[in-house]
Amino acid sequence: MEQKLLIVDDEAHIRMLLEQTLEDLEDEGVNFFSAQNGEEAFEIIKAEKPQLVFLDVMMPKMNGMEVCRKVKKELQLNDVFIVLLTAKGQELDRQKGQEVGADLYMTKPFDPEVILEKAKEILGL
Amino acid sequence: MAKLSLKNILSKDIDSINMVTSLAQQLNATIYIEDNNGKILFSNGPPSSAFQFPVLFENETMGWVKGSEKGDAIAKILSHLLSKESERKNLGSEVLNLYQEINLIFNFSDKLAQTIGAKAISEITLDEASHVINSESGVVVLWDEDKKCLEVEASTDSQFFEKQTINKELHLLLGIILSGQSEIVSDFASLQKAGILLPGIQSVIYSALKVKRRIMGAIILGSNEPDKYTANSLKLLTTLALQSSSAIESSLLYEKSIREAEEREAAMRKVFDATEKFVPYQFLKSLGHEVITDVKLGDQAEKVVTVLFTDIRDYTSLSEKMTPEETFGFICLFNARMGPIVRKHQGFINQYLGDSIMAIFPVNAAHALEAAIEIQREIQAFNKLQEQKNKPRIQIGVGLHTGSLIMGITGDRDRMDACTISDTVNTASRVESLTKHYKASILLSEESLKQIEHPEVFHLRNLGLVQLKGKLSSINVYECFSSNTDEELQQKIETLSIFNEGVACYLNQSFENANHAFKKVLQINENDPTARFFYLHTKQIVDSGVDEKKSGVVEMEEK
Repeated sequence: MEQKLLIVDDEAHIRMLLEQTLEDLEDEGVNFFSAQNGEEAFEIIKAEKPQLVFLDVMMPKMNGMEVCRKVKKELQLNDVFIVLLTAKGQELDRQKGQEVGADLYMTKPFDPEVILEKAKEILGL
Repeated sequence: MAKLSLKNILSKDIDSINMVTSLAQQLNATIYIEDNNGKILFSNGPPSSAFQFPVLFENETMGWVKGSEKGDAIAKILSHLLSKESERKNLGSEVLNLYQEINLIFNFSDKLAQTIGAKAISEITLDEASHVINSESGVVVLWDEDKKCLEVEASTDSQFFEKQTINKELHLLLGIILSGQSEIVSDFASLQKAGILLPGIQSVIYSALKVKRRIMGAIILGSNEPDKYTANSLKLLTTLALQSSSAIESSLLYEKSIREAEEREAAMRKVFDATEKFVPYQFLKSLGHEVITDVKLGDQAEKVVTVLFTDIRDYTSLSEKMTPEETFGFICLFNARMGPIVRKHQGFINQYLGDSIMAIFPVNAAHALEAAIEIQREIQAFNKLQEQKNKPRIQIGVGLHTGSLIMGITGDRDRMDACTISDTVNTASRVESLTKHYKASILLSEESLKQIEHPEVFHLRNLGLVQLKGKLSSINVYECFSSNTDEELQQKIETLSIFNEGVACYLNQSFENANHAFKKVLQINENDPTARFFYLHTKQIVDSGVDEKKSGVVEMEEK
C-alpha cells in the first residue's frame, strides 16, 4: 500500500524544513502532503488517511489540538499516527495532547536526525 | 537530495493538481500525465496517445503529457513547476543546514549549561567540534597564568598533536593562540617540524578561546584530508569557541570563588582554634555558645563544678636558682604536661597563675580526682627525668573542692575576658594550700567526696575538720594517697585504722590519745608525713597544756 505523510504548519519555512528533513522518505516512495492550517489538514486527513501526520499545535483556523481531537475522537481514525509539534517550553500542553489522543509529542526546535529516525520507525522503513 | 519527480509535485501540492485540472478543462483537452515508467499520474478522460509532449527538467525527460494536442501547454507548465520545485528544494536544503547549525548550537548551549569545570567544558567542546566539523584529531589548550604554560585540557583519541611537545615548543603555539584569531592554517610546516603536529596531518583549523580581549587558549582541529576546512567550518568552530569561552570563564570564576570561600573558612577555623586555646570550648558551651563570636558581655552561667588547683612547692626557692628564662621554660614544660591530663578527664584549664593551675571539671568530682592522681604520677615521671639531667626535683600539691560557680564574660565592650566568680575557687585554692601543712600530695573537701559515686576505688583517709583562715565555717578534708609509691601505699593502708582513730580522737579533743595513735602510726611507717604533722601538732597541744580550751578543729593561721 502506498504510504502517505502529511506535514501541517502555518509557517512556510517550518513546512520546508520538515519536508527537507524527511526527503529521504520520498525516495522510499512515501507520498508527501502538506497543509498550512488546521482546516486544510483535516480535509486532507479525511480524504487521504495518511499513516503519519506532523501536526503543529499553534495554528489559525482550527489548531492542532482540535484537528487531533476531531481525527481521533470524531472520525475514530486510529491508524493515523499523529505527532504534535510545539515550541519548547510549552510542555504543559503535553497532557492536553494526550487527552486529544495524540500518539507522540515533540518540541521545536527539533533535531532533524531524531525526526527522520522517528518517522522511519513509525512507517516501518 | 531526493530526486525530483512528477508524481511528487502532483501529489504533494493540491494546488498543482487543481491547476492542471482547471487548465485542461479550459483548454477543453483530454489528457493524461505519465511518469517515466509509464505510470499514469493524472487523467481526465480515456487515454489516447495521439499527441505526446515531454515534461522536461534541465533537458531531462521527467514524464509525458499525452492525448490532446493542447497538452503542450500543460507539459510546459509542469516543467515550470518542476524547476520551481527544484529551486524550493535547494532553498529547503540550505534552510535545513542553517537550522541544523542552530539546533547544534542550541544543544551545545544546553550541554554547556549542565557542565562545570574548565576540563569538562573543554572536553565537550572538542567532542562537539570534531563531530560537526568532522575532524579526526583535535586539542583544547588553556593558558595557565600561574604556571605560565599551556595545559592540554582535552584531546581526541586519534592524535595529530603531540601533547608532550606542546609546552616545549610553546612559542610556536603561543604565536597562534595569542593572535586571538580564528583561521584555517595554511602553513603549519614549522609546527610539524617542531613535533607539535605529527606527520600525516593535511589540514589545520583553530579558533581562539577568549572572553572580551582576554585570550584563554584555543581549540585546534586537524584532519588527514587536504583542504578539509571551509569558511563554514571556521564559522562553526568560532561559534562553538565563543560559547565555550564564556562557559570556561564562568567556570573558572566559580572555582575561584569556591577556593576563596574555602580559604576564608580555613582562616576562620584557625582563629576559632586559636581562641579556643584561650577560652576553652567547654567554657563557651557552659554559657550556651558554640563559637566565641556569639559571646557577649554579661553572659553567665551558674553550675556546680569541681575546681582543681595545683601549686609547685617551694617554687620561690626553686626559681631563685634559675634565670627568668629558665623559670619560664620550666613553667611552660610543666604546664604542657598538665593540660592534656586535665582535658583527658573532661576538664579544662581555666587559668594559669604563674606556677599554679586552676582547672574546672564540670561533670563530676571523680574526674577531677582521677586527674589529680594522674598529675601526681606525671610529676613522679618528670622527676625521674629531672634526676637524670641532674636538675632539681619538684613537688606539687593538688587541692579539690566542689561547689557552685558562676562562669561569665566580664570587662567592657573592647576588652572582655572569661572569668569565674565563686567562693568555690577560693576554697579550692585553700584546700590546695593545706597540702603544705599536712604534707599531703592530694587533698579534697568533703563536698568533692560526696559527688564521687564510688569512693572505694580511691585510697582515701579523713584528716578531720579544718578552719581555714578568714573563713567562719570549717571544712572536712580528705587525703587521697592513690598516687603514692606502692610501698607508701601499702604502709598507709596498713596503718589506716590507727590513723583514723587518731583523727577521731583529735575531733573529740582527746589530744593525748590522738598523739598516741599517730605515734603508733609512725612506729610502723615513719615516712608518713601527714601522721608526723598530727603527731607533732598534738604533742605541742599536750605539752603546752592548752588542750582543755582547744577545739577538735585544726586552725590554719596562714593562707
